[in-house]
Amino acid sequence: MEGEEISKYFLKIIEHEDVSVGIAAIRTLMEIINKTASTTVQGLDENIKDGISIMKRSHYPVAAIDSGCELFVRFITLTRLDTHFEECKRIMLKRGNLYLKHHNRSRNTIVTSASKLIGDGVRILTHSRSRVVLQTLREAAKQKRKFEVYVTISEPDKSGLELCKQLEIDGIPHVAILDSSVGYIMEQIDFVMIGAECVVESGGVVNKIGSYTMAVCAREMNKPFYVLTESFKFSRLFPLGQQDLPLEYKYDNYSNSTDFKKVHPLVDYTPPSFITLLFTDIGILTPSAVSDELIKLYL
Amino acid sequence: MDKKKQSKEEKVGADGLTKKERRALKVQARQTDDNKAEQKNIRQHSVPKNGEKSEINQNMAEKGSENVTENGVIVEEVKVPLDKPESGLSMKEKRKLEWEKKLASVKNENNIETKCDQQLSKSEQKAKRREIQEAQRLAKKNTVTKNTEELNSKISPENKKIDSAATKSFPAKHTCSKRFDGSILSPLQMPFRDYKPVELYDSVCLPNIHPAFIELGVQYSSKTILGSNARCISLLCALSRLVKDLRTPPEQEFSRYLELVLQKSTSYLQKCRPMSVSMTNALKLFKSQLTQIDSNIPDEDIKKKLLDFIDTFIHDEILTAGKAISLKVLEKISNGDIILIYGCSSLIKRILIEAFESKKQFKVIVVDNRPLTEGVEMLRRLTKAGIDCTCVSINGLRYVMASVTKIVLGAHSLLTNGYVMSRAGTSLIALAAKAFNRPVLVCCETYKFSERVQADSLVYNEIGDPDILLKDDTLNNPSPMKSRSKKRRRKFLNLLYDVTPAFLITAVVTELAILPCTSVPVVLRVKPIEI
Repeated sequence: MEGEEISKYFLKIIEHEDVSVGIAAIRTLMEIINKTASTTVQGLDENIKDGISIMKRSHYPVAAIDSGCELFVRFITLTRLDTHFEECKRIMLKRGNLYLKHHNRSRNTIVTSASKLIGDGVRILTHSRSRVVLQTLREAAKQKRKFEVYVTISEPDKSGLELCKQLEIDGIPHVAILDSSVGYIMEQIDFVMIGAECVVESGGVVNKIGSYTMAVCAREMNKPFYVLTESFKFSRLFPLGQQDLPLEYKYDNYSNSTDFKKVHPLVDYTPPSFITLLFTDIGILTPSAVSDELIKLYL
Repeated sequence: MDKKKQSKEEKVGADGLTKKERRALKVQARQTDDNKAEQKNIRQHSVPKNGEKSEINQNMAEKGSENVTENGVIVEEVKVPLDKPESGLSMKEKRKLEWEKKLASVKNENNIETKCDQQLSKSEQKAKRREIQEAQRLAKKNTVTKNTEELNSKISPENKKIDSAATKSFPAKHTCSKRFDGSILSPLQMPFRDYKPVELYDSVCLPNIHPAFIELGVQYSSKTILGSNARCISLLCALSRLVKDLRTPPEQEFSRYLELVLQKSTSYLQKCRPMSVSMTNALKLFKSQLTQIDSNIPDEDIKKKLLDFIDTFIHDEILTAGKAISLKVLEKISNGDIILIYGCSSLIKRILIEAFESKKQFKVIVVDNRPLTEGVEMLRRLTKAGIDCTCVSINGLRYVMASVTKIVLGAHSLLTNGYVMSRAGTSLIALAAKAFNRPVLVCCETYKFSERVQADSLVYNEIGDPDILLKDDTLNNPSPMKSRSKKRRRKFLNLLYDVTPAFLITAVVTELAILPCTSVPVVLRVKPIEI
């Protein structure tokens, strides 16, 4: 598969199907393995690496692609066999399919556990657009719960408005608020529920810019801060602060510009101390349990 | 008023002195005596010090000196410890006798003295009076003590009144402090026994202990070898020397015999200085290795296996792990950083030097603390490597913290609840860092992880020599606390470690990964130190 072909395939999945970026990246990797021209494991490794870097160059969040691919590669190569290459490829594809199958179900698991939080009369604040959050809200609405959702418009791409559109279709009462009115609205809501682009080793999350602001406000007003995320978004990163986040996560096409002071960052890092619970497909975790899971996976 | 005054003046004792005059006398007697006793003290304390030469023996100053010859034979010179109660009593008696003599001579000169007294200003006299009254009050309290009775019998009836008051007033304090020792303790001191200096002489001849271990014990107790990595490596080196030199006595198995010898050696080391967690873990692994070895193979092969094990342990768990940690911290150091470090750590030194060599531009602030002043040593090592350093005392922490961007700390051990045990003062640094919202990185190899759980630093700690707290390097005058420390009920507590809670620490850098503190139990589960 050539570079052009890879990015086309990747974009096609995202645009035509309602899947998260991570899953799209994983499916693209599967395609790469399937159509690879190389006949050695090492060659295949190279192909996968190239594929990942090509996907990163698209304008989709790098954090999500990175974490998804890392775990996937780790999973399919856990037992690299010394047998014939074709045999090896077959096993890898089999494991890949297993992985995908598992993660296709993962969102349902999260929705089931998280929708129980939404009772009658609850007011929820959410940020940007997250598929898991949307599905959870839909599930709660399906169960005839009466609740209200406050959605931040979420500059610069106004992704909050997209979420509002979808809530409109489902008939869920919602209010779009300004990003800057998070503090104003905080005293009226019951809890915050957001998605994540990636969950880091410390148990904190990297998400659309503005999440950290929300977390700090929620902590100050003692509102629970819930994060809904699939476990394939777990990453081995350990940022010490906002400055410590990788540049490619923070800026679109970061290689083009040199002066980052004047560029708006796309994501921020929310430290674990601000997060109440993480709803994942492997269970409802406290932030400190994330690294436990990661250690189990990688060591 | 007049009446009272009169009555006071009328009370002239048998020796022809008024009360006031007697008081003045007492004070004078006490002052001269005080000086004398002190001189005597100094004289006596300096006696054993003449015998010692090597700096290693500094710690044993009061207990006697010891020379370790090349053969490992120990030449011991046991001296009666001055601190022991028996000698203390005899000293007191001597002092009392001296007082008596003194008082007798003072008595002869009392006429001159009283004249001098009259020349004193009113306020001075008042102060003196107050002092005397206090002394008398104390003396009254202690009239029950046997010592005074015994003393009174010795005193001639003529001088009795003055003497008993004077002697009671001062030595009474001594007996008092002796009696309250241990019963009046601040809550902080409660859980601790008194610091006991290393008693190397009581293990006479030290049978069955390899000279390498004896040397090690002395180095540990004198703090020549300091830092948990250094202590662990030196222990393993001594261990390999022991394994090499050990000859199995006939009809005994090598590994059983080694275990026996090891047991004795470690209990000796424990006596010199409580073992660090790193040492305990290394020994545990070594012992488990020992029990796993098939005892049917020849001694030489067992030795080879054990030596291999020691080498790989030093290489993998300490040196390579250090390299891995260094690489991980390097990722976190960015240009323009100001890194704050505390005390002296071989690992931190390595990290900083390697970061410097890889052309990172950063500054280092070394925080130093008494009494060990390890920071100065760290400063020396770092500046030698060419790193831009600043050294501040821990008192100035707040002043520098605002400009710091990262804090990198070493650790003695990591506990299962995620708390970090490290050199006393570390938790203070972490707390200040939290207040200024600066990230705190703790660097620790996984072999130092401990299964213990500890919520504060008082549950388990090591008590250092309290006398080094009184060491005053900056001033030529000896610390005013020093001269009085033995006379008053004051006690000094020198704790060596403290425990930093997990929420003050951003991350722990281990050779496996950068982890949050709370992941310690998972690491222990994945990589069991105890087999």
